[in-house]
Amino acid sequence: MAGSTAEATALARRLSERGEDAARYAPWFDRGRCREALAGNGLPRFHAEAWRHTNPRPWYAAALGANGGGADVRVQAPPGVDVATFDEPRAADLFARHSGDILDPAEHPLAAVNGLLLGAGVVVHAPAGLQAATPVRIDGLGAAFQHVLVVAQPGAALTVLETPSAFAHRVVECVVAAGARLTHLRRQDASGGCECSLVAATVAEGGRYELAQLSKGAALRRNDLVARIDGPNAGAHIRAAWRLDDGHLDNQVRISHAEGGGTSRQTYRGVAGGRSRAVLNGAIHIAPGADGSDASLTAKNLLTSATAQVFAKPALEINASDVKCAHGATVGALDEEAVLYLRSRGIGESDARDLLVRAFLAEAIVDEEGARSLGLSG
Amino acid sequence: MTLLAVENLHVEVDGKPILNGLSLAVPAGQVHAVMGPNGSGKSTFANVLAGRPDYTVTAGSVAMDGEQLLDLAPEERARKGLFLAFQYPVEIPGVSNMEFLKAATDAQAKAAGQQAPSAVEFIGRARQAAADLRLSADFLKRGVNEGFSGGEKKRNEILQLLLLRPRLAILDETDSGLDIDALKVVAAGINAFRAAHNAVVLVTHYQRLLDHVVPDRIHVLAGGGIVRSGDKSLAHALEAKGYGWLDS
Amino acid sequence: MPSSNPAIDALVNREYAAGFVTDIDAETLPPGLDESVVRAISAKNQEPEWLTAWRLDALDRWRAMQPPRWAHVAFPDIDFQAISYYSAPKGERPKSLDDVDPALLRTYEKLGVPLHERARLAGVEAPQADTEGLASRGPAAPVAVDAVFDSVSIATTFKDELAKAGVVFCSISEAVREHPDLVRKYLGSVVPKPDNFYAALNSAVFSDGSFVYVPKHTRCPMEVATQFRINAENTGQFERTLIIADEGAYVSYLEGCTAPMRDENQLHAAVVELVALEDAEIKYSTVQNWYPGDEHGRGGIYNFVTKRGACLGARSKISWTQVETGSAITWKYPSVVLRGADSVGEFHSVALTHNRQQADTGTKMIHIGPRTKSTIVSKGISAGHSQNSYRGLVRINRGAAGARNHTQCDSLLIGDHCGAHTFPYIESNRPGAVIEHEATTSKVSDEQLFLCQQRGLDAEKAVAMIVNGFCKDVFRTLPMEFAVEAAQLLEVSLEGAVG
Repeated sequence: MAGSTAEATALARRLSERGEDAARYAPWFDRGRCREALAGNGLPRFHAEAWRHTNPRPWYAAALGANGGGADVRVQAPPGVDVATFDEPRAADLFARHSGDILDPAEHPLAAVNGLLLGAGVVVHAPAGLQAATPVRIDGLGAAFQHVLVVAQPGAALTVLETPSAFAHRVVECVVAAGARLTHLRRQDASGGCECSLVAATVAEGGRYELAQLSKGAALRRNDLVARIDGPNAGAHIRAAWRLDDGHLDNQVRISHAEGGGTSRQTYRGVAGGRSRAVLNGAIHIAPGADGSDASLTAKNLLTSATAQVFAKPALEINASDVKCAHGATVGALDEEAVLYLRSRGIGESDARDLLVRAFLAEAIVDEEGARSLGLSG
Repeated sequence: MTLLAVENLHVEVDGKPILNGLSLAVPAGQVHAVMGPNGSGKSTFANVLAGRPDYTVTAGSVAMDGEQLLDLAPEERARKGLFLAFQYPVEIPGVSNMEFLKAATDAQAKAAGQQAPSAVEFIGRARQAAADLRLSADFLKRGVNEGFSGGEKKRNEILQLLLLRPRLAILDETDSGLDIDALKVVAAGINAFRAAHNAVVLVTHYQRLLDHVVPDRIHVLAGGGIVRSGDKSLAHALEAKGYGWLDS
Repeated sequence: MPSSNPAIDALVNREYAAGFVTDIDAETLPPGLDESVVRAISAKNQEPEWLTAWRLDALDRWRAMQPPRWAHVAFPDIDFQAISYYSAPKGERPKSLDDVDPALLRTYEKLGVPLHERARLAGVEAPQADTEGLASRGPAAPVAVDAVFDSVSIATTFKDELAKAGVVFCSISEAVREHPDLVRKYLGSVVPKPDNFYAALNSAVFSDGSFVYVPKHTRCPMEVATQFRINAENTGQFERTLIIADEGAYVSYLEGCTAPMRDENQLHAAVVELVALEDAEIKYSTVQNWYPGDEHGRGGIYNFVTKRGACLGARSKISWTQVETGSAITWKYPSVVLRGADSVGEFHSVALTHNRQQADTGTKMIHIGPRTKSTIVSKGISAGHSQNSYRGLVRINRGAAGARNHTQCDSLLIGDHCGAHTFPYIESNRPGAVIEHEATTSKVSDEQLFLCQQRGLDAEKAVAMIVNGFCKDVFRTLPMEFAVEAAQLLEVSLEGAVG
């Protein structure tokens, strides 16, 4: 592909050389279409629309150096939730039955790379009606390239928590069946490394998917999220908060209303300080005929340092008329009046600012424990 | 003479029958109240008179001044002098109230073959009507119902009633959501409108408006038809005993 | 298309009123683009050598470029060798209005822009101050008009009167001859030759366009306007406009565009550059009514235009207002580079697409100087099978302390087969700067139509009124006379749109 970096070319070559037999881990996993997608579309390149502000090059370098399989799976699940790693025979069956069409590697080149280098995978399956008492904790999967499939069967209620140590190059597919509820908590700690993840969720009629993501910066941190509203009264609420003192965070979110009568909300609060760079791309897509859709997005950013940068692109792509869609985005600074007010009550300036920053972030935070552990909330 | 004559009116919405043979006659110079419990078809009746799409008339007739209305478009009915005060007036952002009122007045004058009032004359008239309804002058500059409170929306309907001077006014739950002061202002507006040549149909759930606008006749709507008619004392009986009293 | 409202279904599409062809002998270069074509255009305009070289450099750069593909529009590749790059009425260029071919005068008369020095739209009164939204009318003010017909300017009115105030208003080809220093200093200074594919093309082959210079501390005594007309078949129009407001100057400039109805697409790739020095203000208003094509998407103008203003001086202001109802495809982002401290940029836009039209339009506000401010108001109306996108960039550079932007983007959808899209790009590099962006989507609801109809308005009038209300914030910023034209145009463009 024109303009590809040397790393991208090397990675593409290495991936194309990886024969089917080299894939010893989970041989049932369909790598053919990943290879095809990569051959057809190539790897994304810096400055392409979806990579306008993030250079994927370090990621290619990391991918080239990645080791293969190995399974040090650290997943804890409450009773009733079935957890099967990809090397267990029933995982193949669960995967075949539930993995859907949302993760098309042709549309997501990073998913194709992930598939070809796959070293660890796990299926988390909540049977119909199960009300899981405690969260499923995914602490680590033991390989660089990982795939997680979470299935919430009709009427099930489940919380999945991805903890900081677990992040590598991970694809998470979430299937929320009719009337099910999946709460997905993600915590991303500060890191000097390079991490890319892709979350793809489908929500059937009456189902609900809630993502709450907390992030600190990394040398390169890229989060792609696609969610599809697949039926009436299906809902998705994406909340993401970040506080960057350094590093690079790129959140790319696209919520697609494929069927009418669904609701989606996106709430973003970000603080960029130090020498950080925060990128947010948040799109709402309404398919033709998806009448009665109700979608909104708000993104608020604070820029607290002269060496930080904020890039925000909320987008609306509306192809049906009977819809309620809106977005709002702001970039600003802390209210100096409020700082002064707090100081006049005896609070030191840096405490006052910290207090206000936390209050600013609070709107996008539901995972209080996570927020505390990452220093995002008081 | 009969201004509004409704005979054996049957109406369906989405294939579901709502009115089943409603008949009603309102002579000029009178105020009739149509009362009934929730779901009795009151709003359907008001809206079908005005020609709202999505309501299917399966039988019966509606005539105003002896002229059949049911085949006419909503704007044609309006131009013949039929006015509906909406229960939930919609907002039209950016279109000023004054602009809207003038356009409606002009359209109706044109249909009647009359000279439309000049802008200056009309503005004067509108300001007077607004003042009578205790609405501030900037009310006329704001977008139609845009950001109005519930009470302001209802008063705006009465403002339009006073400016458009229809032959027949159908007021759909105009009293709902009004505090007592606003209710008095609205009632005064309706009373000011009453005249020998026009008629008013008040569609309401409660009798409290009827303390201020005294009706000549009261009709009780239930199950899609008029089940009882009487003078104003009927309203007090209903208020005291509830609609359940009718079934006993 | 079926509609829930039969009254709306009954509406009939009115014809595009400006769709006639003027039968006139034209001198047209054969299709194709190479060095000889560029030299021929330059020679026809009797240009100095520096400008010929400038054009040839642009041609070289253009050849190395690719057409942009990021816009949300779809059309087959254009064969740039199949287009003629120059067409002009035969004979000598008219020296004064008296020399202009009567057929051309009639053309502009028919378009409502008579080329005589009486009040424009004589007999028609322009509205004056509103009273609570009701327009009252008074006599129209005169407007100076430069009439550009295909590749050349055929007449400019009120030149003498403007000259008395020191204002230069003429075709750009005349300006190259009469005011070479100004042209040489500013041409390409705001939109450099290699800025983008179409700007590079324009730089190579631009034929005519308007030039305005308002001297220091001068308020231009009347509004100046250019009326662009494409007439010749198979010909592109590549005009170039340059407006310079010197320190403390003010000018309001209007632009109108029309073209005949044809089944083939025609390319219009203009470049407009505005320069505002210290304390100067330029107000630039466009009513774009290029032929939009028919309801099946046959024909229509490809309007690929680069418009940009530079607020060079402190406290300068540039304000763009556009009403876009025409063109098969619109690709246009009138922008402001806010270099001077405390300078102000504004963009007010109404873009209406109907049938198979596609528009990808918006603005760029580049904040470089301290305390610079920008305001963006965009109203998109999509009807029929059209696609309508707002695309805008707000960038706050590191030196823009205290910069502020406010953006409001609203979309109105009419019918279920169209698309309305919003792509705002927000980039901040400066703490303390404030950017606010809001976007909404709505439709003309059955409830709104019914309320209007219940009050006696017919559906057509009701839709026009609702759409006009939706656009009010933008129409407010247009010069009065243009506002009326814009509202009428919207009404005509919308006919048959609902349902």
